[in-house]
Amino acid sequence: MTKSNDYDICIIGSGAGASPIAHQLAKAGAKVLVLEKGPWLTEKEFFKDELTISVHDAYNPKLSDEQHVIEEEYLDENNKPFWQDEKTSDSGWSWWNGNVVGGSSNFMSGYFHRLKPIDFRLKSEFGAIKNANIEDWPISYDELEPYYAKVEREVGVSGRVVKHPHQEPRSTDFPYPPIAELPVSSWIDKAAKDIGYHAIPVPRAILSQPAMGRRSCEYSGYCSSYGCSSGAKGSGRAALLNNAVASGNCTITANAKVYKIASDAEGKITAVHYYNKIGRKKKVTAKIYVVACQAVETSRLLLASTGKKFPHGLANNNGQVGKNLLFSGGGTGQGDFNYADLSPQKVNELKVVGPFINRALQDWYQISDKSFKGANKQGQAKGGTIDFLFHQNPISRARGTQWGVTKKGNDKLLWGEDLKQRLKTEFTSYKTLRFEVFNDWLPNDDCFVSLDNNVTDQWGDPVAKVRIGYHNHDLDVGNYLSAKAEKLLDALGAKNISSSVSGAPSTNLMAGGCRFGNNPQKSVLNKNCQAHEVDNLYVTDGSFMPTGGSVPYTFTIYANAFRVADKIKAHWLTLPS
Amino acid sequence: MNSKQTINTKPTSFFDKNYQTPEFITTNIKKTVQNRRHFLKAAAGMGALTSLPSFNVTAKTQASLTNLLSTLLKKDPWLTLNSTLNHLLPSSPTGPSAIDIKAIDYLYQVMTVQPTELEEKDFILKGVGWLNGYAQSEKSADFSHLIFSDKEELLRGISQSKAGQNWLNTLLGYIFQAMLSPPSYGGNPQGIGWQWLDHQAGFPLPEKGQRYFELPTRARISLISHVSYRNMSQQEGSHKKSPQGTRKA
Repeated sequence: MTKSNDYDICIIGSGAGASPIAHQLAKAGAKVLVLEKGPWLTEKEFFKDELTISVHDAYNPKLSDEQHVIEEEYLDENNKPFWQDEKTSDSGWSWWNGNVVGGSSNFMSGYFHRLKPIDFRLKSEFGAIKNANIEDWPISYDELEPYYAKVEREVGVSGRVVKHPHQEPRSTDFPYPPIAELPVSSWIDKAAKDIGYHAIPVPRAILSQPAMGRRSCEYSGYCSSYGCSSGAKGSGRAALLNNAVASGNCTITANAKVYKIASDAEGKITAVHYYNKIGRKKKVTAKIYVVACQAVETSRLLLASTGKKFPHGLANNNGQVGKNLLFSGGGTGQGDFNYADLSPQKVNELKVVGPFINRALQDWYQISDKSFKGANKQGQAKGGTIDFLFHQNPISRARGTQWGVTKKGNDKLLWGEDLKQRLKTEFTSYKTLRFEVFNDWLPNDDCFVSLDNNVTDQWGDPVAKVRIGYHNHDLDVGNYLSAKAEKLLDALGAKNISSSVSGAPSTNLMAGGCRFGNNPQKSVLNKNCQAHEVDNLYVTDGSFMPTGGSVPYTFTIYANAFRVADKIKAHWLTLPS
Repeated sequence: MNSKQTINTKPTSFFDKNYQTPEFITTNIKKTVQNRRHFLKAAAGMGALTSLPSFNVTAKTQASLTNLLSTLLKKDPWLTLNSTLNHLLPSSPTGPSAIDIKAIDYLYQVMTVQPTELEEKDFILKGVGWLNGYAQSEKSADFSHLIFSDKEELLRGISQSKAGQNWLNTLLGYIFQAMLSPPSYGGNPQGIGWQWLDHQAGFPLPEKGQRYFELPTRARISLISHVSYRNMSQQEGSHKKSPQGTRKA
C-alpha cells in the first residue's frame, strides 16, 4: 500500500497561470497547495511609492541573491556574430516581474485584449517564415472563447464592445462598464476618425464597480507597475487566491522556493522539494502537480528536475523544454503636447490625472498592404496592437534634468538656478503621450532557456541562462505599426514625435519554452497542457504558447489556465481517493 | 611583485587618475540603457532591496532623528554635505531649496536608515574628504566656510573630474528623491516638491513602517547562516570582462 499524498493538487507558482487552477480545484473540493517563492502581501502593503516600485524594485529578489544570465548577440571586428553572456547582477537588468503571492499579475497594466482567431493558426494563414519556428496551436479560438468570457466574469474585466475591422467573436458582453476615461481619450477618438483609423476602448482587468468582495478602482493615477491597494485590479491574488483560501481547501505557503521535482525510474513524480523561508529543505507530495512559475523559471525548474528517466530534465527527453521562448515584439513611441501651443481648456484637460486613456488601435492586426516589405511577398502579414498611455513617475522624470551641454558639446552637470529652471520647465510646460506596440515575437532557434553552468542562486542552484535572439521580421512589423501610431500623434498635434523599435525583449511579457502540440517529438505538452511524458504534470503559465499573438499575455494565460483547470478537475476525479 | 611593492590604487582626491567609477553608478547607467523598453514592464525593475535586521528602526528612533541631525550638522560629514546640498539647490524665488525639501534629512536617512549599499555610502563620505581637501588647497578653508562664489568655483572644478562629476551627480539624484518621494522617507515635507512641480501624487502613500525596506521580508538563505563556499569561488572565477564587440542592433 502506498503512502497517501499530502495534497490532491500541488501548484508551483501563484500568478495568472497558477491562481485559476487553485481557485477552480479548491472550489471543486480538491485539497490544494500553492508554493510561492516570494512573500504574501495584501492590499495593505501596496502603496503608490516610486521608491518601492521602481527605484528599489522591492517586490523582487536582490540580484546578488537570485539572478539570470543573459546571452546577447554581438558582432566582432569582422562583423561575425557571436553570443556573449552577462550576469544580471553585473548588468543590473532585472528579469524578475513581481516575486510575491499573485506574481506579476499584481503589477500588470491589465490590458485585456483577447487573441483573435488568426493567432491560433499563424502558419496556416501566412505560411512559414525562414528561420522562424512557427506552428499552429492545437486548439482554436472557439475552444478558448468561453474561457475568455469566464475570466471576464471571475477576474473582472471592464470594457465596451464596439464594431471595428478586427473585432473577434464574443459570446457575451463585458460584465462591467468601462473604467473612467481621461479627456484625451476623446481627442484620440476624433483624430483617429479624421484619418480613417478606428480607436477602440481597451478592456481592463480593473473593476469599475465594487464586486466579488473587492472595491472598485479609486483612480489614484498610479496603476501600471504598481500594486493595487483597492483590490480593483484583477491580480491572481485579489481575484482568485483569496477566494480559493476562503473555500477552506487551499493552502498557500509563501517564501517557499521549489528547487526540484523528483521522479522515479518510471518517470513518475515522487515529490516536490523546496526550501522554506529560512532555507531548510522540505518536500511535499500530491496526486497532480502543476508548474506555473512564469516562462523562464518554469523551464529552469523542469531542466533542473533530472531523474533516472529524465537525464536532461523533467519531460525533456525530446530536448524541447526551454526552446522557442517568446517575448513581445514591437517598441514604444511618444509625442509631446506643449502647453504654450494649446488653449487653457486643452491644457486643463491634459493635466487631469486619475482616470485612464484606454485607447488602442488594432486596424493592422492583420497587415494587408503591398507596400509592406515583410517576409510575405504579397504584403500579407500578422500585425499587432498599439496602446496609448501616460507616465507618472516623477523621480524618473526628474532624472536627466541635471545634464546640460557645454559649448563644445560635452555633458555638463547643472545645479543651482539652472537646475531649478530645468525642473520647472520639464514638469510644467508639456506632457508626453506615449504608445506601445505589441506584435508577435517569432519563435526561433536563438531564443531559449538553459541552465547556467557557473552561476547559482543563494540556495546554490543553477540559474536560468536566457539567449534572447530575435527575428528581423519582428522589427519590420514593429516599424510598420509605429509609423501608423506616429501618424495619429501627428494628427493630434503632438510635437517631437519619435519611436523606438528594437529586438530588446520585453522581460515582463514572456511565454513559450514548453510548447503545447499534438506531436510529442516537437512539443512538451499535449493540448490539455499536460506533459506528454508525465501523466500527473501540467504546465499552466504562458509556457504553453507556440506563438504569442500581438497583445499582452496575461488575459490568455488566465483563460487557458481556466480551460486546463477543467481538464485537471476531470483528471483528478478519475483518480482513487 | 611582493606585497610591499604593490602600488596603493585607492584614489585620494577627485582628480586621482586611479579613480574608477563605483559599480553602483555603472550599474545604474547600464540599467538606464537596457531598460529602453522599461515602461512595458508591469513590474518595473531597477535597483535592489536589502532588508537586513540592523536597518529596522523603531518609531521612537525615527522621531529622534530630527533632533539628532541638528547636532550632527555642526560637524562633518553632515556639515559639508548639507552645505553642498544647499549650494546645489539654493534658496530663490523660483522654487523650494534644499532646506525647504529637507534634503539633508533625506540624505541622512539614506545613509543611516535605508539599506543603502555600503559602497555608495563610502563614496559619498569619501567625497566629503576630497572636497574639503580641495577647498583647503585652493581656498585654505573647509568648503562649508566659503562664500557662494568660492563654493561655485570649487564645485565647477571638481565636476571637471570623473570622480567629482559622479559625486555631485549622486547628490543631485538624492535631491530629486528628497523632492519627489513620499514624505515618510524624510524629505518633501507636506509634498512641497510635488506642489512646486504641479505633480499629483498617488494614494495611499507609505507611512513609516510601510516603506520599501520595511515590507515583509523574502526568503533568504542567510537567515540560517549558510555559506556556499563552492558558489562563492565560482562566482569570483566567472566574473567576465565586457564583451569585445558591438551589440547587435
